[in-house]
Amino acid sequence: MTVPLGAYIAVSAVLFFTGCAGVLVRRNAVVILMCVELMLNAANLALVAFSRKYGSIDERGSVFVVFVFVIAAAEVAVGLGIILSAYRNRPVINVDEIHQMKG
Amino acid sequence: MTFDFVEPVVFALLSIGVIAGGVAVVMLNRITAAALLMAFTFLNMAGMFVLLGAETIAAFQVLIYVGAITVLILYGVMFTKFSDSPRALFFQRQTPLAALFVAAVAVPIVIVGTVSFTSAPPRPGGGDLPALATSVFTDFAFPFEIASVLLLAAMVGAIALTRRDDPQEAAMRRRR
Repeated sequence: MTVPLGAYIAVSAVLFFTGCAGVLVRRNAVVILMCVELMLNAANLALVAFSRKYGSIDERGSVFVVFVFVIAAAEVAVGLGIILSAYRNRPVINVDEIHQMKG
Repeated sequence: MTFDFVEPVVFALLSIGVIAGGVAVVMLNRITAAALLMAFTFLNMAGMFVLLGAETIAAFQVLIYVGAITVLILYGVMFTKFSDSPRALFFQRQTPLAALFVAAVAVPIVIVGTVSFTSAPPRPGGGDLPALATSVFTDFAFPFEIASVLLLAAMVGAIALTRRDDPQEAAMRRRR
């Protein structure tokens, strides 16, 4: 591993906070979903990097990455389902204007 | 001559791709371009997994993120019209460029494929797959089954969420 672990963690952190900024700044629901995917993928990079650095015996970190893949797929399917059903009720995609369920 | 400088250079290129793609997803107003750049980010991330020696994870990354999730998000973009971008005809003027790009990717693959299949077949069981599979099917067997149940529940839930439950209204919309 000629590239140090810190470099991978730095890339992971930058991508995570880019996605976090996107979730906070953007108002399109589909873009927010994309930014959540970016954050999940940044976490995957950190998991694999730590797994390769410290877990040389087994692949525990990579197993968790597989579970993150499953969660990401389920999340995007259900998230798009919610977005599409909300869009069908009222054709807006801006999350600030979707407030029918607000108490 | 040593090749120690290759890995940092590849890492630098991949990290530039990952971060630039992520920033573009956040900054761009054209949703289709943002979704495709998200796929670009995921591809660079798969390259990073290969660089880390996790080839199986890289393959999963390409299959699930670049394949399934990007296509799903593109479907979401298509079904929800976003009013800020009037340039909905994203691909229309770029057909020659697209043909050139596809040819630039496809022709080397065909050439390399025809050349390399004459060599000896690779042996199975390499890389990180044995360790990963051992972990999944011994220590993590129960969470693995729970994950499959979660996927089934998500699939049924997505169908139930997007289903029209009023057949009369659905027929009326279809006629319109």
